[in-house]
Amino acid sequence: MAKQVGADRLGDFYKEGSKVRKRREWRGLADTMYDYSRWLKIMMTLGKFVMKPRNVKAMFRYRWMANYLAVPMMVDRHTQGLRGEYLRICHEEQDLVIDDVAKLLDSLFRGDRRIGNDKKFSDKVVLVDENEMTAVMMGFPTLKCLSRETPSTYVSVLLNQYAACHYIDVAQEFGLAGDVCPMPEAEAGVSIDDDAPVLGACAIQCNTTCDGSLLGNGVISQRLEHEDGIPVFQLAAPLRHREDDVQEYAAQEIRNAIAFIEKHTGVKWDWDAYFECAKRVNYATECRQEWLEMNRTPYPQVFGSNLALYTETNYMAICGRVAAFEKADRKITKLARQAYAKKKMAAKEYRHRAIVWGVQSHYYMDFLVWLLNCWGIVPLTDMLSMVSTKKLVTEDTPENREQAIYDMAWLTENMIMRNRTHGGYKVLLDELWEFVEMFNADMVILWEHMSCKALDGMHGLFEEKAREKGINLVWVTHDLFDPRIISRQGVRDQINSYMRTVFNEEPIDPSLEVLPDDKSW
Amino acid sequence: MMTFLHILKVIAIVIAALFALTFTVYIFNLDMKLTAAIEPWLLKHYDKIDRDQHL
Repeated sequence: MAKQVGADRLGDFYKEGSKVRKRREWRGLADTMYDYSRWLKIMMTLGKFVMKPRNVKAMFRYRWMANYLAVPMMVDRHTQGLRGEYLRICHEEQDLVIDDVAKLLDSLFRGDRRIGNDKKFSDKVVLVDENEMTAVMMGFPTLKCLSRETPSTYVSVLLNQYAACHYIDVAQEFGLAGDVCPMPEAEAGVSIDDDAPVLGACAIQCNTTCDGSLLGNGVISQRLEHEDGIPVFQLAAPLRHREDDVQEYAAQEIRNAIAFIEKHTGVKWDWDAYFECAKRVNYATECRQEWLEMNRTPYPQVFGSNLALYTETNYMAICGRVAAFEKADRKITKLARQAYAKKKMAAKEYRHRAIVWGVQSHYYMDFLVWLLNCWGIVPLTDMLSMVSTKKLVTEDTPENREQAIYDMAWLTENMIMRNRTHGGYKVLLDELWEFVEMFNADMVILWEHMSCKALDGMHGLFEEKAREKGINLVWVTHDLFDPRIISRQGVRDQINSYMRTVFNEEPIDPSLEVLPDDKSW
Repeated sequence: MMTFLHILKVIAIVIAALFALTFTVYIFNLDMKLTAAIEPWLLKHYDKIDRDQHL
């Protein structure tokens, strides 16, 4: 119970067999009052949400809605041990994401034929995948771009580690393969289980990254098109995204997607709105680059889940369409500059500088905070945060309108994950070692998502190169959405044994080495 | 004047009581303990809903 960073034994907050922690942290008066005020704000957001009868109705209809009981705990997990600017950066991001998801849920239930059944509203809705760049919606300010999979599976697993298990089991009961990525499998399971809201004028699906994703999209679009009467466009972005010869095809896919949306909604593309969004995308890129620049120094500021979760949301799901994120970018950058000027540190000791690569475990997103608090490993950046930094054109001219189509195609090709897991040897392997040098890292934490064939095939090549370069490479195996295969402790044990046997080190906070969080949300 | 001071006093007591109540809930994580107790009931309810399950 102290103001100082690292003064608490954070493992003592856990209770064997419990879903939740014993109590919240005392972080000194100022930081505790700040955290308390943000908790109150979250409670007000949730209170406002449940004030609407249709949202309560949805709570009793959709199984995945039960996970939203754990919203404040998700924030507590990511703010563990944080003080000062780091705590404030985390809240700026998390609270905004919570607000955005609450609005998304409210909109979904408003148009849902089973709940709100607002037909006029539903006719303005374009459904998109969870794992999809929303660039094609930048020029449709009057339409609602909604993802059903984001709240039903993606966010749910961040809230409750077991959230997707029911849907994974449903998908497999219906004969779907058990060795594909559990993320699209769970999304397909939601559709099979008749647990997805039904709404929208049309839908845009994307050939995300893998066999599992294509399988999931097939199952979902079958129900959408043939039963719900919602037409679906398949946006097939090229996988070899660094090659010049695929760009014309990629641009044509964007033109086709826009024409499809115009046809089914009767709304015309708005260039003014597009260029406005493009300016915001550029601003977000500038901020991210500044944060990454700081992370190259001995005093990194926006890193770990503060960088990863926010980038995923802001880059892909928002894509310049929500002005509130620009404001948050500005605030985060201001806080980071403040802390950097004072040479502040988020933990009492930084022992190792790590690049986190591969696709991270969703049921243990706060693992990055654990690395810092338990072993003093600073996760400087991660694969999913190393996305496009290309500047988009922002002036409305005939030439720029044509270039804008290529910019949207580039963003779609370079959406999170697919920009690294596909596109060749260079983007996944070679650039990792470039980042190791650039960030002056001495460690690579390599997530091995055991159901991701795109990455598993490269296992030996990563090891060979790490040996050649003398970099400490730690494999951390997981199953993305399914903690029954490898538990959170199973994830931690892989780091614990490496740190003890290879580095011969003792943890900074020994109470965190083994945690009784098997039953926890 | 006395009435005004009395109103102020009542407002201050209400604010202090609300703060004491919400801060106790916050620091002892009572909100999460309550929702953790609700979850099993909700899951049982979902199991009873008729669904059109199919591929």
